[in-house]
Amino acid sequence: MNIKIIRTLVRKEMLDVFRDKKTVVIMLFIPVILYPLIFLGGMQVIALISSNMEEQNYRIVVDAADDGAFARMLAKRENGTETSDGREASGEQADGVEISDDQTEGVETSGGQAEEERYTITLVEAGGIGDYETALNDEVIDVYVSGRMQDNKMNYDVYYLSSAANSSYAKNIVIDVFEEFRDGLTEEKIREAGLDVHEILEPVLYEEKDTASSEQSLGSIMGSILPFMLIISLMMGTMYPAIDTTAGERERGTLETILTLPVTNRQLIISKFLTVAAIGIVSALLNICSMGGIAFYMYKIMDMQTDAGSFEISRFLPAILVGILAVFAFSLFVSAVTMCVTAFAKSYKEANNYITPLMLVIMFTGYIGFIPNVELTQTMAMIPAANICLLIKNMLLFKIDYTAIAVVLISNVAYAILAILFLSRIYDSEAVLFGDGKNGMQLFEKRSNLQKGGVPTVSDVWFVVALTIVLVMYAGSMLQIKFGLAGVFGTQLLLLSVPLLIVIYTKRDLRLTYGFRKTGLKNYLAAVLIATGFYAVNTVIATGLSVLFPDSTENVVTVFDNIMSGNIGGVLFVIAFAPAVCEEMLFRGLILQSMKAKYRVPAAIGITALLFGIYHMSLVKLIPTGLLGLVLCCMAYRADSIYPAMLIHFLNNAFSVVISRGPEKLKDLLPVFYQETLGFGDVMLLLCVGLILMGIGLFFLEKGRPGRKIKRKADRA
Amino acid sequence: MGKNSITADGLVKTFTKNEKKNRKVDINAVDGISLTVKEGEIVGILGPNGAGKTTLLRMMSKLMRPTDGMVSVRIGEKEITDDIEVKRHIGYLSNNTKLYGRLSTRELLQMLGVLYGMSKEDTERKIVEIGKILSMENFLDNRIEKLSTGQTQRASIARCLVHDPQVYIFDEPTLGLDILSSASIIEFMKKERERGKIILYSTHYMEEAEYLCDRIVMIYRGKIVSEGSPDSLKARTGKNNLREVFAELIAKEGMTDEH
Repeated sequence: MNIKIIRTLVRKEMLDVFRDKKTVVIMLFIPVILYPLIFLGGMQVIALISSNMEEQNYRIVVDAADDGAFARMLAKRENGTETSDGREASGEQADGVEISDDQTEGVETSGGQAEEERYTITLVEAGGIGDYETALNDEVIDVYVSGRMQDNKMNYDVYYLSSAANSSYAKNIVIDVFEEFRDGLTEEKIREAGLDVHEILEPVLYEEKDTASSEQSLGSIMGSILPFMLIISLMMGTMYPAIDTTAGERERGTLETILTLPVTNRQLIISKFLTVAAIGIVSALLNICSMGGIAFYMYKIMDMQTDAGSFEISRFLPAILVGILAVFAFSLFVSAVTMCVTAFAKSYKEANNYITPLMLVIMFTGYIGFIPNVELTQTMAMIPAANICLLIKNMLLFKIDYTAIAVVLISNVAYAILAILFLSRIYDSEAVLFGDGKNGMQLFEKRSNLQKGGVPTVSDVWFVVALTIVLVMYAGSMLQIKFGLAGVFGTQLLLLSVPLLIVIYTKRDLRLTYGFRKTGLKNYLAAVLIATGFYAVNTVIATGLSVLFPDSTENVVTVFDNIMSGNIGGVLFVIAFAPAVCEEMLFRGLILQSMKAKYRVPAAIGITALLFGIYHMSLVKLIPTGLLGLVLCCMAYRADSIYPAMLIHFLNNAFSVVISRGPEKLKDLLPVFYQETLGFGDVMLLLCVGLILMGIGLFFLEKGRPGRKIKRKADRA
Repeated sequence: MGKNSITADGLVKTFTKNEKKNRKVDINAVDGISLTVKEGEIVGILGPNGAGKTTLLRMMSKLMRPTDGMVSVRIGEKEITDDIEVKRHIGYLSNNTKLYGRLSTRELLQMLGVLYGMSKEDTERKIVEIGKILSMENFLDNRIEKLSTGQTQRASIARCLVHDPQVYIFDEPTLGLDILSSASIIEFMKKERERGKIILYSTHYMEEAEYLCDRIVMIYRGKIVSEGSPDSLKARTGKNNLREVFAELIAKEGMTDEH
């Protein structure tokens, strides 16, 4: 890798991007000028509105057979009494109360200027308004209070019109006054009875004391804004250069020029990637500084008002450092992913179309980090966008977990590297460079242009894989938490239906895509033997792993136990039958068949098995499920049919169900499957029996009919 | 006879096209072309649209990988086949090789100098020299997007010149240019031939090819139909000019059903 070449290419990309005004505007103008402007402008507008707020006059009718004490109290009501701060801030006392003798004119109270709003209350004589409901509806009056004596108590009803803002405000004031009125009466009664008012009314005293340091409260405010802002600003920052360096280069026709140079595709991609990432980082840092500054300023204002203690900025140093690292890692990720998408596009317009759904997905994923009670677990630390949000939030709340930091940073960088490797391979293919814009994504082509038949393209399959993994990750886990066993079944249905819809939409051949082919009876016998043998072998592996990683296993077991505790028939159906159909159709059907059409068989099997392992989303389960995937792939390939693989999958899962839910006798009969650790003898026994069974199974296994093999080979060529 | 040359050996390029009824059909855009161009020689590739000219030239300049066959460049005693190494000796120009509009010609040439592994001094010297040859001193520092068509074409040629390649591969370099601009390109090619460069180019202009080329290669449907000096081609077909030779040869193939 020649540094000089990369440096020159990066310089060229930078010049090219920065000489375009759009980038500069998005990068500099928005964070440096627009945000503070919007913020300060907003503050000004609010100040303007509050100082100019028109004085409201609330018309209230009190129609009660009482001594008029409440009405007097209401009439005395002035805005200043609500908050002591308000009175101080206004610096102006109430003008006084003027109760006119002439009751028909009503009583007018004029309040001073309050912090929130200015208002006056006019008491309207009940006789002059007619029907109160009509009056309320016509907004002639705002509140109607009626009162009658019942069981020696005054009973008041407060009528108001919730759909009218003024009526609601007035009602709140009336309710406030009622509370004061009642408290006053209570005190009076207690005093009359010769008791100590304080002792009766306040037998205990309590006070809220926030133990959060001022740094912590600032952190929690910033933690709820900054991470999401960061994700959005990073995407905004990278989006434009990502489009410009890929689709833009093609649209301007300079791609062929650069290919005449003695430069490899990888050098090209890496320099483009570095440019995009660097611009993303700078743009995000500018955004954060700007928004952090605003958050800080806002806190300072609140600080002055509430007299909270001052804080030391140095306590945020770890958060700032990790935050910057997170920005770096995440910008690598976002740049790589957006470039993967934009590289397929032939023009800006097309690239924009591709990038919008991607941004929505990333934003949605980032939002996961804000769901209450979502913690930065091992799994969450692997989910891009969400992990960045959670990490920064945690850092701002001073929850520092070094393992999580490492996992988040490393996973983001690792995804970026994978995406870039993928991209430099794709970019290498001439179809992308000189193609007619057909990028292999049939899903995004006009449906009428698609020809019927065949298996999906590999690009489509990757899309399906990404989509289903996201679905399972979010919808699936939500469904499972909410509905338990039924949720698991729902997840399986998602797994089946979403890819199936895409397959149907792209007019693929269902039989070919899913490998629905008849196969000999011997293959089913082989499937039974292999499933049994494999279960024995896999028990050894799974037990070994649970000894190595006890924590993660415990987690898996608890979840599993929860789900397993249903009706055994239902459990068998959901845990064994549904995956045997749904997961097989996705993995050994769609994915394996499509991969096989493009790559060599070992590669196709390897990829499918690995995806199957990854899809189970647990490090501990990766190896056993990956191995199961491998066995299933080999079976589906050799039998040239999906059915035996379905059978193996069913049996494998059914064994687990039977072991955990089966009769107690089984525990005595086959103790090896219940132990937490295995002795040497047990291991040997399980391995021997397992391998022998699998060997016999292989013996029975017959290849798919030769005639069909040749025909399929011809199809592939 | 010099020692430098570029050789295509049995080049085949297969594209898979989607035809009706879900059948994928393989089409050989270039179907077994072998060709050598020696130094001090201008070879013109002639052929109707879709004959495979562009694909052939792209493969010869290593932009595209051949399905079969290989391309090599001989410089002195050295035989070079590596993609990247071959690119160092080729100046390729086509209608699709646009320039970076937001850079100036000077910046572009400086960047190319580094990418071709030239020293800074060499690059600067070369830029001055090219500026003189193509008389573009007064717009070297202007952004390319602001240049006129003729100036842009000169900047494109400057791009091919900066690393002083032994081989020029031009795909329809005079297409859509006015008489003056195309004349200057033709002059340029003649001069470079005198300097012993290898020049391979494609065109639709028969008179230009007749005037300029030492050898003409006519291709049709990915295959070489005829090859030779303009005079020998005329003699062979008994025609007076290249235009008629061309029509005659295509008709002779009995496949005038092209589009």
